[in-house]
Amino acid sequence: MLGTLWRLLFRRIAGVRGSGGTEPRRAEVLISADLSVNRERIGSAFGNSPDLVTRDLWTGARGRISALVIHIDGLVDKRLLAEAVVERITGLQLEWTDPAQAYEDLKTRLLASSGVEEVDTLGEFIGGIARGDAGVLVDGVAKGLVCALRGWEQRSVEEPTTESTVRGSKEGFVEALRTNTSLLRRRIMSPQLWIEEVTIGRITRTRVAIAYIAGVVNEDIVEEVRNRLKRIDVDAIHESGNIEEFIEDAPLSPFPTIARTERPDRVAGALTDGRVAILTDGTPFVLIVPATFTMFLTSSEDYYERYFAGSAIRLLRIAAFFISLTLPALYVAVTTFHQEMLPTPLVLGIAAQREGIPFPAVVEALLMEFAFETLREAGIRLPRVVGQAVSIIGALVVGDAAIRAGLASPAMVMVVAFTGIASFATPVFSLAVAARLLRFVMTVLGGALGLFGVAMGMFALLTHLTCLRSFGVPYLEPLAPLVLSDLKDALVRVPWWAMGRRPEFTGKKAPMRQAPGLKPRPPSPEREEVHRLLDTEGVR
Amino acid sequence: MREVEGGKISGRQLAALLVLTRAMAVTMTFPTAAAVKPPQDIWIVTLLGTLVSVLFVLLVARLGLRSPDKTIIEQAELLLGKYLGKLVGIILVWYWMSVACGAARELGEAYTVAIMPETPVLVFMVATVFLAANAARNGLEVVGRMGESILWVVLFFAALVLVLPYDQMRFKNLAPVLARGFRPLMLPTGTVVSFFLEFIILGMILPYLARPRDATRYSVHAVLASGLVMTWFAVALVAVFGPALPDLVMPAFSLSRMISIANFFERIEAVTMAAWTLSCVIKLALFLWGCAVGLAQVFGVSRYQSLVYPLGAMTVALGILSFESNPALQRFLRFEVFGVYSLIITVGTTAVLYLAAFFRSRLPLGRGLRR
Repeated sequence: MLGTLWRLLFRRIAGVRGSGGTEPRRAEVLISADLSVNRERIGSAFGNSPDLVTRDLWTGARGRISALVIHIDGLVDKRLLAEAVVERITGLQLEWTDPAQAYEDLKTRLLASSGVEEVDTLGEFIGGIARGDAGVLVDGVAKGLVCALRGWEQRSVEEPTTESTVRGSKEGFVEALRTNTSLLRRRIMSPQLWIEEVTIGRITRTRVAIAYIAGVVNEDIVEEVRNRLKRIDVDAIHESGNIEEFIEDAPLSPFPTIARTERPDRVAGALTDGRVAILTDGTPFVLIVPATFTMFLTSSEDYYERYFAGSAIRLLRIAAFFISLTLPALYVAVTTFHQEMLPTPLVLGIAAQREGIPFPAVVEALLMEFAFETLREAGIRLPRVVGQAVSIIGALVVGDAAIRAGLASPAMVMVVAFTGIASFATPVFSLAVAARLLRFVMTVLGGALGLFGVAMGMFALLTHLTCLRSFGVPYLEPLAPLVLSDLKDALVRVPWWAMGRRPEFTGKKAPMRQAPGLKPRPPSPEREEVHRLLDTEGVR
Repeated sequence: MREVEGGKISGRQLAALLVLTRAMAVTMTFPTAAAVKPPQDIWIVTLLGTLVSVLFVLLVARLGLRSPDKTIIEQAELLLGKYLGKLVGIILVWYWMSVACGAARELGEAYTVAIMPETPVLVFMVATVFLAANAARNGLEVVGRMGESILWVVLFFAALVLVLPYDQMRFKNLAPVLARGFRPLMLPTGTVVSFFLEFIILGMILPYLARPRDATRYSVHAVLASGLVMTWFAVALVAVFGPALPDLVMPAFSLSRMISIANFFERIEAVTMAAWTLSCVIKLALFLWGCAVGLAQVFGVSRYQSLVYPLGAMTVALGILSFESNPALQRFLRFEVFGVYSLIITVGTTAVLYLAAFFRSRLPLGRGLRR
């Protein structure tokens, strides 16, 4: 019922979408044999923008053949352009007498870029130039050549800022799609790593790559990803977040059903589990589907540290998630309705602190939560230098002055601050945000109905989470439905030698990921003997 | 006829649902406690009742497996003909509804008695029934998964309550065993069995099992597991409270009150109460689902989802109107009322269906009518 209401509301807000695009149909126009016509058309297609560089060249016997090199300044590797294209056209090609011969020569042997593509429509030619390739036209030939010479300024591969780890690779994705796919290839050397590419966005024409490991991945999931990407028909894709909202399973849920990361090692790990990665040009954030709830509470470090540490930290993180979701609600519920649950001295202490506070506990909690969230947001958006000032002021205002002014009790400040810190322990921002939002709802429930309200809130949340799916995989997968073999990597992480099976839902096609019996053992005399024999026979 | 419900659940989820329904949902008030005359024998009663109930559940499962793709309501229609079958279907739906009413009221009463005396019982009933209906609307699959995940939380808190008052337990309270022989234990055993009779809902779940053959095994396991938990509860209750047991309104709740470790870990009853609430809501969800799907099948409605919220509203209304007060509710839950009531309905229905099946397979007429 609620869902229907939401849908109705959203349809009103979104409005009925008009059909048809504004895209001029340039694709059918063929390249003309007349160079000046082509130049005219290309120039007008780009609105004669100053960064469109057209270079006329004369070549052939007595310089009778006219050629045109077009590219966009800044998107092309200039040194390569000069060496591999311009020099090849102009450099003493005296034997050329007619344009067709010159064109053939250029296409087959002279142009020295790694990829040369022949196109005959103007649309494709212009598209190539807009993507950062260089176009070559010869007067009298109704075809064009697009040379792959892309080279632009880009950020170098750095340590990712959002997911830093103590142990593990320090590489992070960058904005360029090709660099990102190469980072993946560097980690997965097998040709089984298959990458598909689609272009999305009528205006931005953003390239989006789908990566998966053939033979491991479930083809139905890949097909589903393809179909969902194909449906997207929008003007612009600026970030993988745009794509995420178009393809996610639960668009009205506060919970993310698609994981994202900027760490190549994390993507590689997900791919070998049988998941699918979606890389978007222009952003370091890569999407991973299908995603389950527990994936949002793991960090890649869990897998690199020894399993005791990894498991303990993961449990801590899960506890922190629940704290960030419910602690203020529990505090409000207990202090308002169930004082008997606290030890008597503590109750007396809290009551004394709350002596002069003019609000009920729930209002106090909401007020402090609001102040805290505002401070946090201000601290993130401001320049770093000012940010520190904000946090100092914030600490004074929220921490000290609020108490002295009698607006909040010290216990409440502690609860709110600890909740805030706990929410930083959630490794994935999108899940932390969901908890932050729902915390307010929980607090109100706790203030209205006590622990009963909190239990009801948790039940509603559980119903919601149980209903969610991500690309066919239940969101709470190893927990509900209970999949015993997947519990090895949910709340705790078992040692690697015990990780025999891939996740049940995504890795069905190749269920075993390693040989059995890899648990290290002390060398026994018999085994030593076997090894020695194998060694001498040259088997190993 | 179109599939009214499309989901499938596993045998383990079935067992989780049944255990939550039986072992947890009524334990907080432990209605048998008042009925057993030598109170120290309550655990024997629980154990006996469980063993008898296994027989009943086996009967229901066998009946269901006669045609594993039909719910008990569809079967009734096949076996008894259109009108009589629909009548049996309505009776069963009514019975599940009254179970749901009792559970909802029980939950509300527990809260008003123990934790928030000033809040009207309606608040708790509306909130829980709404959430249960919301879960039921999402299908058996969702309810099953939730049951599976909640079971561990609830069992954890049950274990806490059962183990932590260890310093208060006097096991000599259990003596004398069978002081007056088996005779006075007969009727209370009936009470225990009467609560297990709710498991006739198994006939509703069975066709939605991924492997219907699992039904027998997992439901028997569920009965035994819930019986064991309840026996354990009974032993702990007797050991802690001894002869004072029959005077307690909510024995299990009082038991969780007794927990006190190092003067710090104490008075956790609100937390156990919250965990117990979760299991109660699952029970409500399961029975509301059963009512809605059953009703949809009786009247040939293609989507049961639209029936869930109205049935939920009726549950709340009936739960409020049927019982004047908590003592009235407790009187209702005694063997003399609820026990006889559910015995007649469930055992009666099962017997009638078995008889019909027997004659259908014997008489040539029956064979022709069977699809």
